[in-house]
Amino acid sequence: MSEQAFRFGRARHLIGIAGLPDARRDSVGVIVLNSGLVHRVGPFRLAVDMTRRLNALGYPTLRFDFSTIGDSGASGESQSRVQQIHADADDAMGLLHRHAGCTRFVLIGLCSGAQNAHAVACRDDKIAGAVFMDGYAYRTLGFRIRHYLPRLFNPMRWWRRLTRVRTANEASGGEPVFRVAPLPQSVVRVDFAGMIERGTKLCLIYSGGINTYFNHAHQFRECFGRVMNHPAVSTRYLEEMDHTFVLVDDRKRLIDHVEEWLCRNFPVANAGVPA
Amino acid sequence: MTTRTEAELPFFFGDRHELFGIYHAAARTAGKAALLCAPLGQDQIRCHRLYRQLAHALASAGIPVLRFDCYGCGDSLGESAEVRWDRCISDTVTAANELRARSGVDRVLAFGARLGGSLALAAAPAAHLADVVVWDPVVDGHAYVATLDAMQDALRQDTRRFIRPRPAELAGEQWLGFAVNPELREQINGLAADWETTPSLLLDSLPQPSAQTWKALAMDETSIQRLEPPTPWDDLAKLEVAILSHSLVQAVTAHVQAVSAPVRALNAHVLGAHR
Repeated sequence: MSEQAFRFGRARHLIGIAGLPDARRDSVGVIVLNSGLVHRVGPFRLAVDMTRRLNALGYPTLRFDFSTIGDSGASGESQSRVQQIHADADDAMGLLHRHAGCTRFVLIGLCSGAQNAHAVACRDDKIAGAVFMDGYAYRTLGFRIRHYLPRLFNPMRWWRRLTRVRTANEASGGEPVFRVAPLPQSVVRVDFAGMIERGTKLCLIYSGGINTYFNHAHQFRECFGRVMNHPAVSTRYLEEMDHTFVLVDDRKRLIDHVEEWLCRNFPVANAGVPA
Repeated sequence: MTTRTEAELPFFFGDRHELFGIYHAAARTAGKAALLCAPLGQDQIRCHRLYRQLAHALASAGIPVLRFDCYGCGDSLGESAEVRWDRCISDTVTAANELRARSGVDRVLAFGARLGGSLALAAAPAAHLADVVVWDPVVDGHAYVATLDAMQDALRQDTRRFIRPRPAELAGEQWLGFAVNPELREQINGLAADWETTPSLLLDSLPQPSAQTWKALAMDETSIQRLEPPTPWDDLAKLEVAILSHSLVQAVTAHVQAVSAPVRALNAHVLGAHR
């Protein structure tokens, strides 16, 4: 296996590292997307460890930076961010096609990376599978019951709430947070149904790090309905872990899970053709 | 379409192509080149954007730049648990020679933040660095290790990150997201400001500035420049917040531009030896 560094894309503005094992030319290619503003190595080098493990199994991989993130520059085009994401992902798939012969792809994204993977998987038939880590989620009735009920009967919580002195930071809402408004829940439900209809395999992995809006394995179905029970969908709630998998053992378990899902759905012997 | 990224070349180098770097060519040459030594661990990820901005500023000023990742860091080969201080020093020597070979300039200056600064100072004689600029270098390894140990213990118990504190055995032999082997730990523990090289400029942005901190470096006080605001290197709440500083970029660029010394262009023999 070898890794190669590339500057690529329609304006040669993207930077990425491709892992190119001696795989069959029809292998599914795995592309790991940026998580927030962290460059392509991922939080605590998660993307590096993950792509190398998958390379060892025979999967061609690419970890790259979207336009203006990490080491990638701007394309110079007048495009919305969503258009850039689609065009950059298409450039990334083109790179793996040229160097590993891949025609179908699996996208892996954490947080905003999951949202970007979702956007591409909705519209691109080349996407055979997607791993969404801490992707779209919505507070449901079940969430509220699980979240508030234990607190309601906890006198210490009431005491702390009543006696707490708010700091200036809290009062002003803390530091500014820049977020992309999430898609409406109804839209995401329809998107998932559409992906499944097109034969896309989905793997949703959510962590305890997003427990302010997601707090139980049942919430996958509460959020997105019966489509979560479809055989093409795998869900996993890792309650004890944090949002960026800061502990080494947690990252290993996460990668184990992704590896197992990938091998089950896209075995290397006939990678590219969903099992 | 031409963008500024055209001048940036990602590549692997070293005898076994184990090291990853990005070379920033300069349109004109000022007779010197700059090697940017990254800090280790999470500091490297937090500083990634700033290093890129600094590389752009230096390259625009006619100073070719090489940014690189030590073995086991960033996109370079090796696992995080394989990082060793002595290997980091030899990687810095390799990178300095690579920069000379690519730029055709023999006079290489280095910049480093935190452990990257300590690394530049430690490697300066072997790498024949003409000058070193440092930003909050680690000069007391024992105290630094104690700080990282305390932060790691606080991290595993942080209920803003985890639903419940994680067991100590799950968080051992790692610092803030990265595995640390006992050898590296011991090497950093033994770090002291006993380097042969004295930096020509030290940028101080520690939260509690103290002249005593830098006394061991035996520097002229006029070579120490205070940067405001303080940099939250050791603030667990900002572990995943990027470190950016325009004043740092401006100060380093101005200083490196001003540094004057005899310039010696490489002859073909030296170039050949470095390849």
